[in-house]
Amino acid sequence: MSDLKLRVKTMIIERLKLEGMTPDQIDDTAPLFGDGLGLDSIDALELVLGIEQTFKVKIEDEAAGMQAFKNVDSLTAFIAEHQPA
Amino acid sequence: MSDIPGHLPHRFPFLLVDRVVAREIGVRVVAEKLLTAGEPYFLGHFEDRPILPGVLMIEMLAQAGGFLETEPLHGQAIFLAQILDARFKGPAFPGDRLVLEVRPEASFGGLLRIEGTVSCEGRILCTAKLMLKKMLPPNAPGSVPGAPARQGLAEKGP
Repeated sequence: MSDLKLRVKTMIIERLKLEGMTPDQIDDTAPLFGDGLGLDSIDALELVLGIEQTFKVKIEDEAAGMQAFKNVDSLTAFIAEHQPA
Repeated sequence: MSDIPGHLPHRFPFLLVDRVVAREIGVRVVAEKLLTAGEPYFLGHFEDRPILPGVLMIEMLAQAGGFLETEPLHGQAIFLAQILDARFKGPAFPGDRLVLEVRPEASFGGLLRIEGTVSCEGRILCTAKLMLKKMLPPNAPGSVPGAPARQGLAEKGP
């Protein structure tokens, strides 16, 4: 697992208080919302804040944000692309 | 701003903002609520010792948060979706002029998170973060695909 991906998963677990869950247990390609992790829209806003504070990446375009929230892989790629150097 | 009913759909006895004293859309709102001895909730809370129920301070902040929006909220379905870190630091009594200050923290997918403070003569009585949900039609821009509303929220209706 890449370092960034591990940090993304750790941020998700901490931010959403997924107690008892480890980064290994989050599938890279399973949907974050609905069937996969079962997150809801309130969790989405919590993640927007978490990404901004942890990775200094602002999600201002909601459509792009929703693409990024597809799964851990897409979220990691989005953060890698937008992270300040 | 004094035309409060023109912006908020709430009415007596549940309109809990009297006037807006400062308003920067999307940045900050400062509003006021003067607690009179005739407020209906003072009748039973409590009979000989009227005190403002703490939960109503949360509602006051939510209503003040409505003024962060440009457009009047009539006809819109807006719900309180989450209350975070609510702290009640002091009581409020009849005669108190409460200052309600709210700022937005973040928004995404029709959700707005605000942080707010209720104070009286410089004393902080309550601080809280609130999540407000504006219901969007399905598939509208901004709705999160596959992200259902919290269970029970969708059934409440406007």
